[in-house]
Amino acid sequence: MKKTWMKKALCGMLAGVMMLSATACSGGGSETASTTAAGGEAQGGAAPAAPAASGDQKVIKFMHRFPDEPYNSFIEGKLHEYEASHPDIKFEITSAQNQEYKEKIKIVVGGDDTPDIFFSWVGDFTERFIREGLILDLGPYLEADPEWKDSLIESQMEQYTNKDGMVYGIPFRLDCKLFFYNKKMFDDNGLQAPKTWDELIAACETLKAAGITPIAFGNQEPWSASHYMGTLNQIFVPDEVRAKDYDPTSGEFTDPGYIEALEHYQALLPYMTENPNGVKPDMSRTNFVMELGAMYYAELIEIPYIKMDNPEMEFGMFNFPKVEGAKGNQDILTGVPEGFVVSSKTQYPDECVEFLKWFLGKEVGTQQCQEIGWFNAAKGTTEGLTDTALLDGYQAVMDAKAMSAWLDNALYSTVCDEYLTTVSDLTNGDITPQEAMAKIQAKAKEAQTLVGTTTQQ
Amino acid sequence: MRTKKHTPYLYMLPGVLMVLFFVYIPVLMNIGYSFFRLSSYSAGATFVGIDNYKRLFSDQVFPIMLKNNIAYCVISLIVQVGFGTILALILESSAIGDRFKSFFRNLYYIPALISLTAVGLMFTFIYEPNIGFINNLLRAFDLPTYGWLGDSKLAIYCVIAMSQWQFTGYITLLMVVAFQNVPQDYLEAAAIDGAGPIRRAISIMIPQAKEQLLVCTIITVIGAFKLYTEVYATTGGGPGNSSQVMGLFLYQQAFLHDDLGMAAVTGVFIFIITVTLSIIQIRVTKSGQD
Amino acid sequence: MKKLSVNILLNLLCVVLGIIIVAPLAWILLNSLKTNQELFKDSLALPSVWQFGNYVKAWNLGLYRYFGNSLLVSLISLTGILVTSSFLAYGLTRFRAKGSNIIFIIVLGGMALSEQVALVPLYKILRALKIYDTYAAVILPYIAFRIPFTVFLMRAYFISIPAELEEAAVVDGYNSLQIFTKIIIPISKPIFASCAIVNLNFVWNEFLFANVFLNNKALQTIPIGLMTFKGDLKIDYTTTLAGLMIASAPLIILFICMSRQFVRGLTSGAVKG
Repeated sequence: MKKTWMKKALCGMLAGVMMLSATACSGGGSETASTTAAGGEAQGGAAPAAPAASGDQKVIKFMHRFPDEPYNSFIEGKLHEYEASHPDIKFEITSAQNQEYKEKIKIVVGGDDTPDIFFSWVGDFTERFIREGLILDLGPYLEADPEWKDSLIESQMEQYTNKDGMVYGIPFRLDCKLFFYNKKMFDDNGLQAPKTWDELIAACETLKAAGITPIAFGNQEPWSASHYMGTLNQIFVPDEVRAKDYDPTSGEFTDPGYIEALEHYQALLPYMTENPNGVKPDMSRTNFVMELGAMYYAELIEIPYIKMDNPEMEFGMFNFPKVEGAKGNQDILTGVPEGFVVSSKTQYPDECVEFLKWFLGKEVGTQQCQEIGWFNAAKGTTEGLTDTALLDGYQAVMDAKAMSAWLDNALYSTVCDEYLTTVSDLTNGDITPQEAMAKIQAKAKEAQTLVGTTTQQ
Repeated sequence: MRTKKHTPYLYMLPGVLMVLFFVYIPVLMNIGYSFFRLSSYSAGATFVGIDNYKRLFSDQVFPIMLKNNIAYCVISLIVQVGFGTILALILESSAIGDRFKSFFRNLYYIPALISLTAVGLMFTFIYEPNIGFINNLLRAFDLPTYGWLGDSKLAIYCVIAMSQWQFTGYITLLMVVAFQNVPQDYLEAAAIDGAGPIRRAISIMIPQAKEQLLVCTIITVIGAFKLYTEVYATTGGGPGNSSQVMGLFLYQQAFLHDDLGMAAVTGVFIFIITVTLSIIQIRVTKSGQD
Repeated sequence: MKKLSVNILLNLLCVVLGIIIVAPLAWILLNSLKTNQELFKDSLALPSVWQFGNYVKAWNLGLYRYFGNSLLVSLISLTGILVTSSFLAYGLTRFRAKGSNIIFIIVLGGMALSEQVALVPLYKILRALKIYDTYAAVILPYIAFRIPFTVFLMRAYFISIPAELEEAAVVDGYNSLQIFTKIIIPISKPIFASCAIVNLNFVWNEFLFANVFLNNKALQTIPIGLMTFKGDLKIDYTTTLAGLMIASAPLIILFICMSRQFVRGLTSGAVKG
């Protein structure tokens, strides 16, 4: 009798373990509707999310990479606005910051919980999903709705079109790389915005002699240097050679222009923040804003951050200076829009596209550039915008004869990793440009054998 | 005892099942994966034999991370286990006033209570070259400053130093507790025989706390080869690959480069190292018990 | 005389070590009460106005949620670890059951298997079980991965318990579960305490599984939540520091208040074989 009692207890315990896992599952499951908004609002959102799963409501999973404020609130606000006007639509929102996002998205894409709409970069970052057939071709939807197609800026839509003509995404924010400079520091030292490489170096010399760090730079997250390298590669390596090398199936990186590009990057290092590998990129922007550096190779989308940190600061912008006699294409403006793509596995492709028409269209775009300082790719969103810095940046994008993807998104992931690693080593002076290129060439060769093998079957 | 034959197995069942299901099966699957090329978002898998192994061992990062893991292991053994034990002896000696004993012991333990990621994030600020604590302190004394986490020669040692800061007090606490359990009469007898404090520590206290010392050693050694969070939260393996460690490399291969095969091989390698070290340590424990 | 100077040196050493421990934390605390500008101007200086608002802001960003998750996950995992491990160790040691040596070796083998090795397959298993991105996705692996080490510690302790105690209990008519709860557990309190501390340290800090298996912000534990928190703030460094202090404070305060009981619990029996 005692033994049966004991057995019962044991069974009870086992059941307890099971229950524990079961409750934990269901507890978690019902909460999967993530709530990213701050504070009390978040809790309010979590509770009613559970019953929505069944029946007539269409749940669209939406994943973005802007969890910081005010961007997060703007995006979620717009999503909730859409929910209000479309009672049949319910969004499940998740988000993560840049680097974490890059990791997270690869974990979720392809599985059962692939987001229906998610942020994705132009270039191989999205191409690899396309190779697996995971992205919806938006081309037919654009063709079916000429009015929508015409409302978007062609030069920006081109960036989200791949070489097979597939339109895989719609831009959410336009971007490009420009040098920002501190007007006061330049005036004090009798300097003007440099137009050529030699002028840039001369300006750096003057500033350095005056005890000012000429260029604020942080490379603790090595994508930062890749923005310099992307631009310099365009300057020194002819377009068709670059196109061939950036394609993982044919990349070689043997052109001498790549070494020249690294050498020019190296030439800037004496004028940059000390120990850049120990400084986070966002920290280096803050250094520029706090007047601890006279120039900063910035992205257009960073303007709001600068304004937030130091609203009084006066800064101008100039394009990356021209290098005389370089063999590449100096008309390219580095930078591409960032946007959203739709999963090919979504249950609701039409609803997703319908939503994107509005979310990435003129109406929201106009509010977007005024409220958070980012432009989307709809035409005519700048009406009523008064911020000159933003308008200047916008103009730079509109004037660009050509634009290019970020180097770290353009390259195959292992090649990219090697590129960033070697440039980081080069920054510390541990290797020479020649050694760096030799390593990258080796990885590119390996990548040729890697790419495509996982797609078999 | 009057129990049915299967009674002991009922007690063992839940634990054994958990270990088999969530530890052994994944590890065996992992060994299987190591012979394939596969990615996290595609269903396809290609059998590639030992190609992944070749790639890992010929990868230029491989010797760097092996060196970093070993450096972490050796330094942690010396500082945390070695110095931590000496510190525990000091705290248990008559040199420190009774009131201060517990104060210092508790103080040293505080960093171990802070989450690893919090410590990692704090130290990215402390090591920051421009506004960071250390460089500002050095500047205040007109001493040369360094790039710390940004310096490829220093980065891994900065991470290791951070861990020593965090966990030496943890080992000290565990050892203090063990020393307090050494029977008082042993020590008194030794004192009567004329043994000084150092003599007593070596011949009585340490042998009596041998088990605890071994546990601390095991935690430290295995921890060194699983190292991941500390590096992830500070350098991310950089600058270049200078502070790369196996745990982080595995993670990056799997979730940054979608190279699950390579990640699996790295896992198998970590597995071989930790199994070997564990067998050695258990052997030592056994021989100690005999 | 010589002894006195040695004593002074040893005391000095302890004080210096104390400063090394406290200084970085003090610097973080100082800067968490400043504005961003002040941090960049001189991180060693005192703020002109103490910015307690940083703490309010950090708290409002939902740090408490991560804290609650950590508490929940840690408590359930810890209970699971202690219950399953002590049962397992009990079954192994007190019955002379056939095959218990082999079972022990199998379980012990798990000690050498690190979390990384299982990461990718576990991820696929959890997805297949449909518990990916739930509390269970971290709790179950936590329990499983901590059983081997815990059993290793408990087994050594249980073996040392004299058999006479049990025999007396059997005479009194106790069954095996009663023996376990009424005799073994009370004697073994110290080993339970030691195991709880070592495992709590693991579970509270665990980052790898939490990072990969918990995507949903509403479920994230402190270690991963802090990374998210840092990302959410991005450039508001001083508020980030305030958040780090908030996340660290509760355990430290709890420890300071409870340290006497805590150490006494440990001292009444450390890990002894």
